[in-house]
Amino acid sequence: MRKMRGDLLRPHGHAAERVGFISCRFGTSDDGLLILGRDYHPVEDEHYEFDPMVGARFGAAAIRSALQIALSNGVGIFHIHCHEHLGEPRPSRVDWTEWAKFVPNFWHARPELPHGALLLSTNRMSSWCWFPGQNDPMKISRFTVVGQRLRYWEAV
Amino acid sequence: MMNWQARQGFLGQESTDVLRNGRVGIVGLGGGGSHIAQQLAHIGVENFVLCDPDHYEDKNHNRTVGGTPADVEAKTPKVRIAQRLIRDINPKARVSAVKHRWQNALPFLRGCDAVFGCVDSYTERDQLERVSRRFLVPYIDIGMDVSIAEAGHAVHGQVVLSLPGSLCMHCFNFLRPELLELEAQDYGRAGGRPQVIWPNGVLASTAVGLFIQLILPWHRDVRLGSVMYDYDGNRHTMILSPRVSALSSVACSHFDGLEGEGDPFWNAGDAINPTMQAGVKILHPDSSTTSSI
Repeated sequence: MRKMRGDLLRPHGHAAERVGFISCRFGTSDDGLLILGRDYHPVEDEHYEFDPMVGARFGAAAIRSALQIALSNGVGIFHIHCHEHLGEPRPSRVDWTEWAKFVPNFWHARPELPHGALLLSTNRMSSWCWFPGQNDPMKISRFTVVGQRLRYWEAV
Repeated sequence: MMNWQARQGFLGQESTDVLRNGRVGIVGLGGGGSHIAQQLAHIGVENFVLCDPDHYEDKNHNRTVGGTPADVEAKTPKVRIAQRLIRDINPKARVSAVKHRWQNALPFLRGCDAVFGCVDSYTERDQLERVSRRFLVPYIDIGMDVSIAEAGHAVHGQVVLSLPGSLCMHCFNFLRPELLELEAQDYGRAGGRPQVIWPNGVLASTAVGLFIQLILPWHRDVRLGSVMYDYDGNRHTMILSPRVSALSSVACSHFDGLEGEGDPFWNAGDAINPTMQAGVKILHPDSSTTSSI
């Protein structure tokens, strides 16, 4: 998380914030779906487009790169970015609009897998998962960070 | 914080919630697993998955916490004894007691925040670690043995914390191909190994301590990666295995990629249902190497 957050908070030449992607695999437990995220893929500096109306806008090259990861590795892709405040991070209208545009792109590479978006705050996460063929995303109810300490919390 | 947890307030303000929401799996509810179940219930863990196919027998009575002569008579499943023990301590505890081999309880174990392995064989340890890695579940293994030594018997054992993304039991040389092969050849011929309650208690307590350190670290000068402790039951010592320090800057080469994670047969179509919950597990990249304690 530190590596991921560190990258997301790194200043960029013209974008106000950074974004990235997490590749995920899936499983089912007795109480639901498990989304297993391991590798973080930052968006390259040159893949950001200048747009003063939004925090970050990335171009087709960034999407192509994420599609390639999905295709080559057989993984679902979750878009990730950070809102710097305490408490549950809530997506902005722009977030919802952008997610609705690019999440379906990932089905071109991996139509059989869910894809989604993950939003970090300073101490919490929110996430939504789009299943193939479903318009409405599912809100994720629980987050666990597995590392040198185990941190987990319920979605608010 | 509940009154009965007041003396463990140093674990933090959120500790009651963290413990209550955490879910642990215990595989093997004999001498080691019964101690772990009892301690976790006292600490305040409320969600348990217990797996053991066996029922209680006379030969278990020297070391299984909570077992009674009546259980021997009634052939009570070991998971039921542990379930009773947990609920006597905390009536709110939710316990999934699976009286089958743990391989039949995989959906329950995948959703756990940690799995304790208290099994006898290297093969089962190997399989448990593989499943745990696949679903990003920290795995804590304990085991003891008694061997013939020059001056009598040697009581020894180990506790291993195997964290996804960090070193594994193969890295520590605790699991080795030749051991697994030897065990496979000898399958079915191994008799009951000597087991006694006090080493089980020491090993179980260390395992519980590692788990609490993982979820509620009470001091900052410990960075916890995978670790292995060697127990010498003759000298009554528990030391960090020299392998841990020797490998302090090495990454695990046995489980090193995403390709091994998740359910290979997972199908989105089968998974969707209207009442389904979903959880995200993210591997913290800093867990890739160990740190000595």
